[in-house]
Amino acid sequence: MNTVFPILALLIFPSGLFVLAGGLVYEWADRKLIAQLQNRIGPRWFQPLADFVKLLAKEEIIPDGVNPGLFIGLPIVALAAALTASLYVPMAGLAPAFSFQGDLVVTLYLLSMMTICIGLAGANTNDRFSLVGATRALTQLFSYEAPFLLALLGPAILAGTWNIGQINAYSQTHLWMIVVQPVGFVVALVGLMGKLELPPFDAPEAETEIVSGALTEYSGRGLALFRIGRDVELLAGLTLISAFYLGGLSNPIFFVLKTGVLLLVTAGLQSLFARLRIDQTVGLWWRIGALLALAQLLVLIVLKTLGVSL
Amino acid sequence: MTEMQPSPHPEKFIVPIGPQHPALKEPGHFEFTVDGEIVTGASIRLGYVHRGIEKATEGQNWVQNLYLLERICGICSHIHALAYCLGVEKLANVTVPPRAQAIRILFAELERIHSHLLWLGVSAHEAGFDTLFMYSWRDRETVMELLEKLSGNRVNYSANLLGGVKFDVDQEQSDAIRKGLDFLEERTHHYMKVITTDETFLGRTRNVGILTNAQAEALGAVGPTARASGVPRDLRVESPYAAYDQYPVKLVLDHRGDLEAKFVVRINELLESYRLIREILETLPAGDLTVRVPRRLPEGEAISRVEAPRGELFYFLKSNGSDKPERIKVRTPSICNFSTIAAVVIGQNLADVPMILAGIDPCFSCNDRAVTIRRSTAQDEAWSWEDLRRYGNEYYR
Repeated sequence: MNTVFPILALLIFPSGLFVLAGGLVYEWADRKLIAQLQNRIGPRWFQPLADFVKLLAKEEIIPDGVNPGLFIGLPIVALAAALTASLYVPMAGLAPAFSFQGDLVVTLYLLSMMTICIGLAGANTNDRFSLVGATRALTQLFSYEAPFLLALLGPAILAGTWNIGQINAYSQTHLWMIVVQPVGFVVALVGLMGKLELPPFDAPEAETEIVSGALTEYSGRGLALFRIGRDVELLAGLTLISAFYLGGLSNPIFFVLKTGVLLLVTAGLQSLFARLRIDQTVGLWWRIGALLALAQLLVLIVLKTLGVSL
Repeated sequence: MTEMQPSPHPEKFIVPIGPQHPALKEPGHFEFTVDGEIVTGASIRLGYVHRGIEKATEGQNWVQNLYLLERICGICSHIHALAYCLGVEKLANVTVPPRAQAIRILFAELERIHSHLLWLGVSAHEAGFDTLFMYSWRDRETVMELLEKLSGNRVNYSANLLGGVKFDVDQEQSDAIRKGLDFLEERTHHYMKVITTDETFLGRTRNVGILTNAQAEALGAVGPTARASGVPRDLRVESPYAAYDQYPVKLVLDHRGDLEAKFVVRINELLESYRLIREILETLPAGDLTVRVPRRLPEGEAISRVEAPRGELFYFLKSNGSDKPERIKVRTPSICNFSTIAAVVIGQNLADVPMILAGIDPCFSCNDRAVTIRRSTAQDEAWSWEDLRRYGNEYYR
């Protein structure tokens, strides 16, 4: 039993097949919602899967002048990091498969691996669009990462633990943290959009400027892995935010409802705005996002020290 | 091919845009030298869709050329045919009935609506604002359907004849147009609100890519590009052609010269077009639709200038007395506006370059007139018609 369970957890549930399938479903829902908001029809339900399978079946072209090891390895590392992160979040409303004191920090770093891999992948190729895209991806990483981290620290401080499972349990028994820390919720959600390079934070892959950004040279398997890795990260990120801010995830029904509502909100935000330039993104995060998150964190710490119960 | 500035030094970091690039719907090649995200140099190279239409006109008669010239541009097909017809009628010295002239400018204004709405969508897409793109293109279908209702075609309406127009406008059609315009007017007011109040969109357009009044004058900008920089240049006002002397147009001007001004000017022009079309429908003169134009035109030269959606369109026609033209020269508005891009992009963000490019509403295939061969080994060489022909003959031998 002790050896079977970790393997099952890695390959079937909650990581592995389950999050891969879930990620594809959430990608479809995201695309469909945006399409509906833009007065389009949108893709059929199996479209993300069809895209994935088709990309996997295609030839992977390794361009001249790249380090082939890095070129092939980076998508695998990116996907692996996203899959590992999903082991520590309360996927499907059940308790996380693994947990230890401090797994919140580990999960946040695992979620950042994707952007770092994309940045490295772009810097690894000689393509000019990739280089510009990589620079932008890493610049964006430095702008949203700190506010995002601060926004997720708020619930951790309130719950008095660094364990995701315990924070989840804490939020189920207390007032929803979106009410207590509305700023943190907004920063976390928008930070997730920045992480996933969703519009309006899609400057790193702005197709009208730099084609596909850092992933311009990727085709076939590498591109498929990066894309599905991003889907997994979307699912893990939504799970994390709803577990922290939307009163916790105690069962699969709540999981679907709460992450679904979050997805609806992000879809709305994605279709509302024009793309931000990279300097505007950085300005937004450091001038507004980081300051707000920091101010809220200070207020929380002060209140906590004073012994006010929330 | 047009080289606005010598190629930047090869050791610099150059971002190529085109000939094939997602930002460009037609092929053109732009090289932007960048320092980080800031553009420090630009070079423009056109000529990828040279089709030899001017030469082809010399082998066909005056009537056949009408249908050929209409196909120079897919968006402003009517205005090309109109410019050609006005020139031919000047050569033949005939007067077209007033009803035909009014219907001609009715088509021209509907075409302007369809072109400006298309531009609005493309520009919004360049800014990453896909929602506006989708909505404006959905609404553009309204005017496309109106044009289809009038002429049976959505793109090449083929409404002009030498000496008149092919289609009349009846009561049912004018009711449909009024209804369509009511819908479009409401939507246009909404778009005006979006582009002047949406914070993220203003962040991409306000004070971006400013073309000063002096630059616009010096570089010979035309159309909405010039009018957004405060240059009062509109042929419908300056030298009214067809029926524009009976239906005067209010000149739309903006003095800021940035991208926002280009949006505001084009949207105000939409509103002006709606007003004009309603006025034409109210007071459409009765009478014939055509007048006879002889098959052979008397010897002579004629110039005709019209205001296309993108600016001044210029036709030069030369007749040698036969049923075929001796020479037809077309100068399309985009070619006048391209040099403004090279002037404006220096110092701008790379991210704003596609929007600045789209800001002049470039139309590539109308531009291309000559070919420059560029080889990595030798110097650039411009080929004349004779060289091209020789090359073509040898290539297929």
